[in-house]
Order: sequence, then C-alpha cells, then structure tokens
Amino acid sequence: MKLSELKAGDRAEVTSVAAEPAVRRRLMDLGLVRGTELKVLRFAPLGDPIEVNCNGMLLTMRRNEAEGITVHILAGDEGHQHGWPGFRRRHRFGKRA
Amino acid sequence: MSQHKTITVALAGNPNAGKSSLFNALTGAHQRVGNFPGVTIEKHEGYLDYRGYRITVVDLPGTYSLTPYSPEEIVTRRFIIDEKPDVVVNVVEGTNLERNLMLTVQLMEMEVDLLVALNMMDEVEEKGISIDLDQLERLFGSHIVPISARNRKGLDELLDHIVSVSEGRIEIRKNKITFSAEVEKAIDKIAVLLAHERELDAAANHRWLAIKLLENDREVYTQVQKYPVWVKIELALQEAITECGILHSTDPEALITEDRHAFVRGAMQECVRLPKAARASASDYIDAVVLNRVLGLPVFFLVVWAIFQLTFTLGKPLMEALAYAFGLLSETVAPHLPAGMVRSIFVDGVISGVGSVVVFLPNIVLLFMGLSFLEASGYMARAAFVIDKVMHRFGLHGKSFIPMITGFGCSIPAIMATRTLKSRSDRLATIMTIPFMSCGAKLPVYVLLAGAFFPPAMAANVMFGIYLLGIMIGLWTAWLLKSTVLKSDSEPFVMELPPYRWPTLTSVVFQARMKAVMYLKKAGTLILGAVIVIWAASNFPRSSALDAELVQEKAKIEATAVAPELKAEQLQTLEARIEASQLEYSLAGRSGKLLEPLIRPLGFDWRIGISLVTGLAAKEVVVSTLGTIFSIGHAAGETSLSQILRSDPGFSKATALSLMVFVLLYIPCVASVGVMKKEVGAWKPVLLYSVYVLAVAWIASFITYRLALLWM
Ligand SMILES: Nc1nc2c(ncn2[C@@H]2O[C@H](COP(=O)(O)OP(=O)(O)OP(=O)(O)O)[C@@H](O)[C@H]2O)c(=O)[nH]1
Ligand SMILES: [Mg+2]
Repeated sequence: MKLSELKAGDRAEVTSVAAEPAVRRRLMDLGLVRGTELKVLRFAPLGDPIEVNCNGMLLTMRRNEAEGITVHILAGDEGHQHGWPGFRRRHRFGKRA
Repeated sequence: MSQHKTITVALAGNPNAGKSSLFNALTGAHQRVGNFPGVTIEKHEGYLDYRGYRITVVDLPGTYSLTPYSPEEIVTRRFIIDEKPDVVVNVVEGTNLERNLMLTVQLMEMEVDLLVALNMMDEVEEKGISIDLDQLERLFGSHIVPISARNRKGLDELLDHIVSVSEGRIEIRKNKITFSAEVEKAIDKIAVLLAHERELDAAANHRWLAIKLLENDREVYTQVQKYPVWVKIELALQEAITECGILHSTDPEALITEDRHAFVRGAMQECVRLPKAARASASDYIDAVVLNRVLGLPVFFLVVWAIFQLTFTLGKPLMEALAYAFGLLSETVAPHLPAGMVRSIFVDGVISGVGSVVVFLPNIVLLFMGLSFLEASGYMARAAFVIDKVMHRFGLHGKSFIPMITGFGCSIPAIMATRTLKSRSDRLATIMTIPFMSCGAKLPVYVLLAGAFFPPAMAANVMFGIYLLGIMIGLWTAWLLKSTVLKSDSEPFVMELPPYRWPTLTSVVFQARMKAVMYLKKAGTLILGAVIVIWAASNFPRSSALDAELVQEKAKIEATAVAPELKAEQLQTLEARIEASQLEYSLAGRSGKLLEPLIRPLGFDWRIGISLVTGLAAKEVVVSTLGTIFSIGHAAGETSLSQILRSDPGFSKATALSLMVFVLLYIPCVASVGVMKKEVGAWKPVLLYSVYVLAVAWIASFITYRLALLWM
C-alpha cells in the first residue's frame, strides 16, 4: 500500500522508499527507512501536502512524494481521525475513559 | 593580536538545531535566527577571545545529510572537507535526537575532531526527557556538552571543551559504526583499491570515500573517476549493488542509511528515556486549528491581514506624533535661520524631506516585529504547508512562500533566501515574484497616500488590497514564467514542521531596535543625500526673469491702496505662483516635464514623475521627494505633507491609488536589482525583467486610474 492512500489517523510501517535520488536521500535522512513507524496526522486544506508523525517529528510531503513510499498498515487509531489530539482519551460525552 | 593562538570551529548540524543562536551567543553577532528550517544559507564567520585563544567560529547552513544535494548543503560539506576546521561542533536538537544523531554518525564517519553540543536543554528538561550523556558519549566517541544557546547556558563549558580538543587534551575516539556484512566487504575492497592508487592523496580518508561511493555521492564520483583505479572500483561497486539486491532486496545507499539508523535507534533505546505518558502538547492543539482542513486557509489570511492592520492602526498615532514634532521643529528652527537659501535648504529640504521619511519609523518597526513574530513562532513552515497547493498551481513551491513573506520586509534577504529551493527554475520563478511582494520601503508611500485620501477605517484595507494586488501579480508572473521559459518538473516538497516557540522578549525588542537604527541610518545617509540633491535640482537654475517679475509685482501690490491683510494675502499667492514657476524652470522641473507625457495617462504630473525617478535609489525617497517638492512655496510647518497633498489640485483619490499601484510594481530599488543579478547570474534576464516590470506597472496603474475616475 502507498503512503498516499492512507487516511488521516492511520498508522503504518515503511517497507520501501522510492523517489528520485535527491528526494529519496532527504526522506531517508529524515528517518523514513524500512521499519520506521509513522502516523498520518492530516491533509492540508486543499488535500495536498500531507503531514505525518514519524519518530515524534512532524514531517510534511506532497502526495506525489508519498506515492513512492510503500507502507504496510498497522492497527488503525480511530479516535484521531478527527484531527483533535486529545480526542481519543475521552469518551464521546466528555467523560474520561 | 598576532600572539594569539587561533582555533577554527565549524558549527554543523540539522536545520533549525540552533546553530545560528549558538553562533550569536558565542560571538555577539546578530545572524538571522528563525524557527523554521533553512534560515542560514551562507557561511558566516565570527570571532571571540577565550583563554588566550582567538577562536574563529563559522556558522554553516543546516544539513540533513553529508551527501549534498542542495546548494547550502554543498557549502557545509565543502567547508568541513576543504577548510579542515580544528574542531567541528555538531549542534544537536535535544528534543529531536533521533533525526539529529543521523548527521552525527555521518560526521563520525568523516573522522573530524567532533564535539557534540546538545542544544535546547531547557526544552528537554521541560518535556521531562532524560538523556544518559555518559553512555551516549561512549557510543559516539565524542564529548557531549549540554547547552541552551538561547538562554546562554553551558557556553563556557563548550568553549573549554573546544580548547581542550584543539590542544589534544580530549581524545576523540573516532568510533566506527559497523555496517551490514556486504557493505563492509565492499568498503574494505574499495578502500584498499584507493589506498593503492599512488596519485590519490595518501592522507585521504579511504573508508569515507568508499562509503560515499557506495552512497552514489556525485562529488566523490567525479573526484575518483579520473584515476586509473576507477575501472576496478566500478566493478566492486557493481558487485556490491548486486549483493545487496539479492541479500537485502535493496541498494547499498539505502542499506547504509538503514544501518546508521539502526545504530542511532539502538543508542536512543539505551540512553534516552521519554516521559511515560506523552500527552498531546499545546503544539498539537494549535496545529489542529491552524492546519485544519476548513480553518487552515482562513487562519492564514487572517494572520497576514492582522499584521498589516496592526502596522497601520497601531502605527498611526505614533506617526502623527512624530509628524507633529517635525512640524514644530521646522517652525522653531525657521525664524533663527537667515531667510532665503539657507532657510530653504534646511526647512524645505532637510527637515521636510528627511522628516517625511522618519515619520514612518513606527510603521516600519511594527511591520518588522510582525514578520519576526511569524518567523520565530514556527508558523512560517506551517503556512508553507497550508499554501503549498495554491503555490503549486502557479508553478511555485510551498517553500517559495517563505522568501515571499520575507520580501514584505526587504527584497534583498528574500532574494537570497530562495537558495533553499533546489530546482533552478523554481528558484528563478520565486526570485521574479519577490519584487512584487511590497517591501518595507514602499510602506511609507502607502501610509502617506492611503492616510491622506481615505478615512482611517478604510486606509488599512486599501493597503491590504495593494499588498494583495502585488501577491496576485507576482503569482501570475511566476505562472507565466513557469509555463513558458522556465518549464520544469515540479520540485518535491518535503519539509519538517518545527515545534511552536515563544519569541523571546529580548529578541523581539532587539530586532525592533536594530530595524529602527537601520532605518534611521538610511534616513540620515542615503535619503538625506538624495534630499539635498533633489533640493538643489529643484532650486537651480533660477530664472532671473521670474525673479524680476516677483520684484515688479511686489512693488505693484505695495503701491495699491487696499487693507493690509488683503495685501499680505495677495503677496503670498504671488510668491507661491512664482515659486511654482521657478520649480518648473529648475533642472528637476525640466526633467519632470520631459517625463510627463509618459505618465500623464496614469494621472501623474511632472512633480510625481520626479519622485518616481528618485525613488529608484530607495522607495522611501518617493516620499521624501514629494515632501521636498510639494513643500516649496508653502510656509514652514504650515501643514503636514498629507494635508498639502490633499489640497493640491494635481492630486486626487484616483491619482493616489494609481501612484500606490505604480510604486508597488515598478522596478525595485537599485540594491535589489544588483542582488538579483548576482543570484540569477546574468544581466540580460534581469534587464528584460525590469522592462517587463515597468510595463506591468504602467498598465496596472493606467487601469487603476481609469477605474478610479469612473467610480470615485
Ligand atoms: N528553547 C530553545 N530554543 C532555542 C534554543 N536555541 C535555539 N532555539 C530556537 O531554535 C530556533 C532555530 O534557531 P536557529 O539558530 O535559527 O537555528 P539554525 O540551526 O541556525 O537553523 P538553520 O539556519 O535553518 O540551519 C529558533 O527559534 C531559536 O530561537 C535553545 O537553547 N532553547
Ligand atoms: Mg542558522
């Protein structure tokens, strides 16, 4: 599966990185290598670029670049789809979980 | 101080790690600091004396890797390799160790004398991250000094370490990390081949060269390719590629990075304890709003709008106070000066010319404070993220946005900041948009004209509209270029978002003070000079016929038998009329007249023509020229420049709008044209571009003027 196909809130593990040499290099130096876990945080207002959290770092890239990154999806993290960071640790009705 | 022993220290590290902050803290310099990656693009040197040493500190552009692709990464690597600094201080962001240590590993491979400055210790402590420094030192073989560059903590300790390393009292163990077996095999093979090549420098680090060859490093390739041994090396490389493909289903370059990463991750696991329940931070909540799919763009426009609103509304009372003070000054000074030439040069020239520019100091300072808040807070990179798609439509890049915003301050650093863009065509297109990003020097023109011809509530919006127009034409220019002469594949967008940081009060105050001093300096030198020249050009030559006429007419009025008040009034109108004719007769008047047919369709008379020409030196001069020329024939301190303009028959709302548009668009100042030439590399495109800009300015002003005449 490609990173660009994930939804906001999905977590995944990188299986390979393909891109033109300079970009690939940059992505790898930023920590996107085989085995790295990442989480898709959100898409920009117009749907592109995308923001992922990778080892605690906030990384943004265009869909175009995300297409070259193959991942394998880990268990989804549904509460975070809403993009509000603290959402999951609460109940829907505002009570603490 | 020749008896000083010298040490050269290079500051290397990831972008946004705090290298420039450290550089400033050590040397007392004022290099630009900002909370987004890619602030520094050139190396800068500074000095300090410490314990009998003269230490040269070199601030380098940030890099993620030592296999360089972008120009500023090349600067960094070349410096470390070619200049061989005595000590390399690797500035590391303590809150983002994993990524930062990837570069540390690469520096280790180069076997330089390495010291690690673990920066942002304040944030590390605040977040409750604990780091086992001793173990980390053991793994990396270099000393690690915890510091906080921003709070100037740990600096002496760092300097002590620097001195000790250079004296050889601290041993850098130069640990080697071990790569996968296949890679190691290939490295050994190539290193041996290189060692046997007699023409190659025996002192070269063969292991490092071998690693770089396996990483497809273009520079090292071309360096080694010219030796006979290359044939054998190429075979070895080919073999390594095949082996890695079979055994690891990847290429040597990726494998090497993975191995480095594994090493760093191992070190992290051993040495770094993150706080247990990592709670969502304030940063996450802010991002949830600021980067929100619905709110992201409105927030972006709101932020930019707020800055201009602030610049105008908050600046207005201060500006008026200053204007009042200058009026008072010329009123008090005038009677003490001998009438005629001397009084005119001081009152009409210096005070109203320079004064009319200095008055805008509060606006300028506020604008720059707003911009530096954007830079320091961490919003800049986020704005690039939000706006990337829009920019992309016009053939630009999200990152183009950062130089463009910088351009609202001054075009020169903005043009230089385009160096963070990798693709040349993107860079050129971005450079060409920058003159349309209205710079701080044009602000006085808008404040003056918008303030004079529009009610206060509207004035800020008129200004915002002018800025928007600039942005739109800039984007359109980029699109035009990218779809004709600068066609290319779009550059990838990969960028890290830094954590939000509060700008420190001291840095904000300092920035403001520096901008104020720079502005006043400019007013006292360049603008003062221009004012004197303009004064002279608008007073000489004088027509003796007109002088004679004045004497004659005066005598006539004196001779008539009317009330004294009426007489005084008649005298005044007469003097003003003669002065105006003298101005037309002067050098400035004649050249303005020459220009007039060209600019008449835009609603400008020859007096405005003169200010546009002088404005080429610096845009503030437009205002000071208007100040000098329009005050001729008015009594000292009689009225403010905006009142004079309002009452002048040659000036209407439509003229004001048209003039604002023209000043927004027409050729940028001489200094920025020079920088543009330097960055583009040739005169021809820059000159062509200037013609284009002038044409655009003319057409846009023409349209503005005609529409304004119709509707107002
Ligand atoms: N909290 C904290 N922030 C710091 C410290 N040192 C630097 N910063 C902040 O980190 C950001 C980046 O600092 P710079 O000095 O511009 O970083 P740089 O390494 O020169 O960045 P580039 O020039 O882009 O490579 C700024 O917002 C600084 O205020 C520190 O010790 N503590
Ligand atoms: Mg810097």
